[in-house]
Amino acid sequence: MPAAQAPVPGKSPASLPPPQTVTPQTYPIEQIQSGEGRFTSQCGFCHGRDAAGGETGPDLTRSALVAQDTRGDKIGPLLRTGRPERGMPSFELTEADLGALVAFIHAQKTKFETLGGGRRAVDASDLATGKADAGRRYFNRKGGCSGCHSPTGDLAGIAARYQGLQLLQRMLYPSGQPAPAPPKVSFTLPEGRTVIAPLAGQDEFTITVLDPTGARQTYARSAVKFKIDDPMSAHFDQLGKYTDKDMHDVFAYLDTLK
Amino acid sequence: MRSLANLLKGTGIGIGFSVVVLAQAVDPKDLLNPPPDSWLTYHGDYSGRRHASLTEITPENVGQLKQVWRFQTGRNPSIKATPILANGILYVTTPDNLWAIDARTAKELWHYEHPKNDAFHIGHRGAAVYKDTVYLTTPDCHLIALNAKDGTVKWNIVIADSSKGYWSSNAPLIVGNHVLVGISGDFDNLPGQLKSIDADTGKTQWIFYTTPPPGGTEPESGGATGGQMWMTGTYDPLLNLVYVGSGNPTPVLNGKVRPGDNPWTCSIVALNPDTGKLVWGFQVSPHDTHDWDASEVPVLVDADFNGEPRKLLMQASRNGYFFVLDRTNGKNLLTAPFATVNWAKGIDKTGRPIPDPAKEPAKDGVLIAPNESGATNYRSPSFDPKTGLLIVSVQDGYGIYFFKPEHGAYGWAGADYGVAGKAFLRAIDYKTGKVVWNHPIGDGAGAAGVLTTETGLTFSGDVPSNVIAFRTSDGTTLWHEPIGKVGNGPITYELDGKQYLVVGGGSSLYAFALP
Repeated sequence: MPAAQAPVPGKSPASLPPPQTVTPQTYPIEQIQSGEGRFTSQCGFCHGRDAAGGETGPDLTRSALVAQDTRGDKIGPLLRTGRPERGMPSFELTEADLGALVAFIHAQKTKFETLGGGRRAVDASDLATGKADAGRRYFNRKGGCSGCHSPTGDLAGIAARYQGLQLLQRMLYPSGQPAPAPPKVSFTLPEGRTVIAPLAGQDEFTITVLDPTGARQTYARSAVKFKIDDPMSAHFDQLGKYTDKDMHDVFAYLDTLK
Repeated sequence: MRSLANLLKGTGIGIGFSVVVLAQAVDPKDLLNPPPDSWLTYHGDYSGRRHASLTEITPENVGQLKQVWRFQTGRNPSIKATPILANGILYVTTPDNLWAIDARTAKELWHYEHPKNDAFHIGHRGAAVYKDTVYLTTPDCHLIALNAKDGTVKWNIVIADSSKGYWSSNAPLIVGNHVLVGISGDFDNLPGQLKSIDADTGKTQWIFYTTPPPGGTEPESGGATGGQMWMTGTYDPLLNLVYVGSGNPTPVLNGKVRPGDNPWTCSIVALNPDTGKLVWGFQVSPHDTHDWDASEVPVLVDADFNGEPRKLLMQASRNGYFFVLDRTNGKNLLTAPFATVNWAKGIDKTGRPIPDPAKEPAKDGVLIAPNESGATNYRSPSFDPKTGLLIVSVQDGYGIYFFKPEHGAYGWAGADYGVAGKAFLRAIDYKTGKVVWNHPIGDGAGAAGVLTTETGLTFSGDVPSNVIAFRTSDGTTLWHEPIGKVGNGPITYELDGKQYLVVGGGSSLYAFALP
């Protein structure tokens, strides 16, 4: 987990420019141009032809992972495994294609850093329309958020760790890095003992958990007795209950927890 | 209830005129009444019902289905195409690629590969066949006519300028000698168009524009561009009308610069296939600001509605509403939500949802259901005549939508982010719009289309990796096989007296049959 940008008094952290590239790097123009073509055809639909966000994928010019990448050391592994849980497929790429893609993404990032502002971006100041007091009341009462969360416990300093759009997204439905804790599966063994393990995947027919060594263990659902405790289901249900005002108010409240 | 095929029998159209044709040729008349040993069009027949009359595989024996063969493309992209089966040969596509496979052995007969290009490679829906020609659209907007026999190129034309931002993933619809091809492109302010190409010569016969072409003066669209027609439509030969859904207006999230309803974006249009003239249009999302294409399949059904036999058209649309129209004139008979929706204030007197201005994208974000990928999407539904159920792959989901003037008025012109979604296979009663059953298939959204058969079976896929058979009447799971994510519509046909189920999982195509 990268160190979060330190909050600047009087200025919302996310109104700062995109995360700065940690290791400045340059690429030959031919490689960038070759990467542009590959990027457009393979990545552009989701991430935008200019890498600044498209139909479903995030703006890569504001990505923390891209900022920390050096010549594909972060981007490469991600492309090869994908993020299937978030709809990002894996890609099998030649070294040349990967190098070209990395070159183009970094070139775009440099370009957008110098442009500033970033089009199609959502700035933290855009989101600052809610009332923190009303948000706190909703958090503690109508929204029921305080049933699981506490401003002095798990949410202490949340606004220092996440800002702007990222904080809003994390509030609505936690995802991204670091990944929220997976649901817990409680197995009842034949002798009555209970074993609890983190859920790693499931479908209608099987359930997969991580054993204490971190290995995946898959069981037919019909062969085991289990219960899944998924705290995220409350977040999903809440999406159908928020008014837009509630959402902005709770965001304003969380934004005070620096 | 009478099927299209039965109707045709009644009129004498489409049967009895079969002539002996070359071994690898498709008699265009067969498209009107496809034989059981074929799947000649994207939807299997012109109605878009994806309902097969085959009866060997039943709810009682479906549990015994076994894999007969697997065809691996050997390439990265997953199969999102519905295969075509003609004369014992399967034609299946991925972007830039078309394989002809022996349907009995899965042996590759030939493979056509289009040159590498930089247009969007997000998926490909399939090929089309006519006489001895197979047609393929490409990401960079070529339409290529290939010899069915050996995959050699007969002709290769450009249907749109991909350098302007157009691309194509379209499975063409063949009607008479018209190859109807649609194009995509909503990252740029481009007019939506459907083109009719002469099946023999490759010459353009007509172009239908959903929004005014460059230099056009028609004011109706309210300044909107877009309305891309990227999915395969349906056809009623008796009315001689082609039905196609159109996509969202551009700029996508900025509705301020395009006041009014923006016809014919997010619409179902009925066109005369011989002239390309609009006969009627029905807009399912007036003034869309959420990217909810109405490209989903307009399914044609002849059935009773309110006690009267009607020629119906139904669509479960990306905006979360289910529509039933009279397809002779486009008049609305029913509008009802089939998924979680929060963006409309009600339904107007013509049956169109009334967009709530408070749910237009805003600077500080608006929480919207469905999310941008929609309550459903490209994945084809299926209509089962016995139960009157339209089986749809649905997502209940939420997204946040942003727009501020700085986002401009070109292309996306805003930002939106999916928040969360849950996927279901959902059965809708066409007479009421009510959900009869609802079967969870995972988180996010499914990618598989749906197939129903005469014996009361429904085939589709879940989000993780299974092809699943359900009982059509109640959604009970009867069989499954993990084959990788199902990204296409399953098909079924009879070959040498045996019924096959063919479905794509990942980048492979699988065939299943009873032992």
